[in-house]
Amino acid sequence: MLKVDDINVYYGNIHALKGISLEVHPDEIVALIGANGAGKSTTLKTISGLMRTKTGSITLMDEDISHTDAHKLVAKGLAHVPEGRRIFLQMTVQENLEMGAYTQPGYVKDGINDIFERFPRLKHRKNQIAGTLSGGEQQMLAMGRALMSKPKLLMLDEPSMGLAPILVQQIFDIIKELHDAGTTILLVEQNAEMALQIADRAYVLESGRITISGTGKELAQSDSIKKAYLGG
Amino acid sequence: MTFISNLINGISLGSIYAIIALGYTMVYGISKMLNFAHGDVIMVGAYVSYICTTSAGIPPILSVVIAMAVCTVLGILIEGLAYRPLRKASSLAVLITAIGVSYFLQNSALLIWGSNPKTFSSIVPFDSIALFDGKLIITAESIVTVAICIIIMIGLNLFTKNGKMGKAMRAVSEDKDAAQLMGINTNFTISMTFAIGSALAAVAGVLLCSAYPVLIPTTGSMPGIKAFTAAVFGGIGSIPGAMLGGILLGIIEIFGKSYISTALSDAIVFAVLIIVLLLKPTGLLGKKINEKV
Ligand SMILES: Nc1ncnc2c1ncn2[C@@H]1O[C@H](COP(=O)(O)OP(=O)(O)OP(=O)(O)O)[C@@H](O)[C@H]1O
Ligand SMILES: [Mg+2]
Repeated sequence: MLKVDDINVYYGNIHALKGISLEVHPDEIVALIGANGAGKSTTLKTISGLMRTKTGSITLMDEDISHTDAHKLVAKGLAHVPEGRRIFLQMTVQENLEMGAYTQPGYVKDGINDIFERFPRLKHRKNQIAGTLSGGEQQMLAMGRALMSKPKLLMLDEPSMGLAPILVQQIFDIIKELHDAGTTILLVEQNAEMALQIADRAYVLESGRITISGTGKELAQSDSIKKAYLGG
Repeated sequence: MTFISNLINGISLGSIYAIIALGYTMVYGISKMLNFAHGDVIMVGAYVSYICTTSAGIPPILSVVIAMAVCTVLGILIEGLAYRPLRKASSLAVLITAIGVSYFLQNSALLIWGSNPKTFSSIVPFDSIALFDGKLIITAESIVTVAICIIIMIGLNLFTKNGKMGKAMRAVSEDKDAAQLMGINTNFTISMTFAIGSALAAVAGVLLCSAYPVLIPTTGSMPGIKAFTAAVFGGIGSIPGAMLGGILLGIIEIFGKSYISTALSDAIVFAVLIIVLLLKPTGLLGKKINEKV
């Protein structure tokens, strides 16, 4: 599905990713965990074309996308829910969803119905300006907007950030549902415990390098991980 | 009667400012830059229309269409060649480039068309209307100008509210990276915004010269600056703000000229701007959004 091979990414002089390689197979949930500033968001941004790698390659469904413009990847089945949600705050809920289906004009109506079924709270607010939604509603909108492009691979950057525990649980339930419905998922999370619970496989990122990888179960039981990310 | 006559002249001049201000405000909204060359695109539009009608005998209405087409291409070229390479540069570098483009256009016009003023003949083929035994005269140019301004306002509103491209423009204005993640081609969308703004500038140029018929290479400068003021006055980035700001500015200018002083009318315009910005820094209709992070 996705193969990232030896990418090096810089912000000016800052060497943010130092030779990262990872793979996501069809129908997997893969988690990417690591401390603040480890390079998780940069990895996702590079995959979705917002940043460029200096070396190596990124392959999506057997196609080299290392040099493909970000906007062209959406139609190829890649969706990225960025860190901090980044919904269009001045547009309505409905318009945000329409933007999500920018590459799927025929799917707008059905797609919006699907999203409203999945997130009933959004339905009642469909004409509300997105900037006035609560944090949890904004996260749902961000996920709904990404789903409007009918992605094959969905990348989520800290979907549980800043949410109350009950909402976090709900977001993770939704991720599982999406996975069951056939969407492959690459998940970046601070909440390592929950991420490892649902992940088939996981990678640990430390200052721009992948230091550990394995199945979700293995990592959840590993002592070093417990110490560093699971609070004991 | 002079009051009504002044009011009509003010609204008509203000409509021209409003049409120009739309270009400023749309471009600012999407690329967060002040395109100071926008005023000079007006001048190019007026020259193209002038040359078409005088040298090629093309009917006035068709000449406007040609002027719009030329300015559309010019706008796309300016954005692509001068501004796009600076997308990530400091805003000061972009500002200086915009001033450079402005002088480039003025000097090119000087080279091509010379410094002799051209007398623009109005493209509006109707006579003025005299009311109240000729005490109140309304020029056909005013009526046409205001009508076109209203049509543009309604059209642009529908376009940005409902059109797919218009919504994409709003999305890009808000967040370029997020817009790309939706599959929106941001470069193309920014290009189209310059294209629309420049086509409107051509219309404004023709209307301006139909009402004030002297055409020289710097014809666009002052109206450009006034329209920029109007855009800031109404709230830069806001389309209704540009319309309101433009029309108010036109009215203030004409009333200032008529009741206070011709020489001071421009100073009055800017004084009003300063007062408004002191009271409401985002302009009349500009809004501040609270971001949730
Ligand atoms: N726009 C930027 N300019 C310069 N440096 C940046 C920029 N964005 C990120 N960095 C740096 O790149 C490194 C990786 O950042 P990144 O955002 O990918 O981390 P992260 O793992 O997502 O962290 P967090 O968990 O806090 O979101 C950090 O050292 C950060 O300081
Ligand atoms: Mg991050």
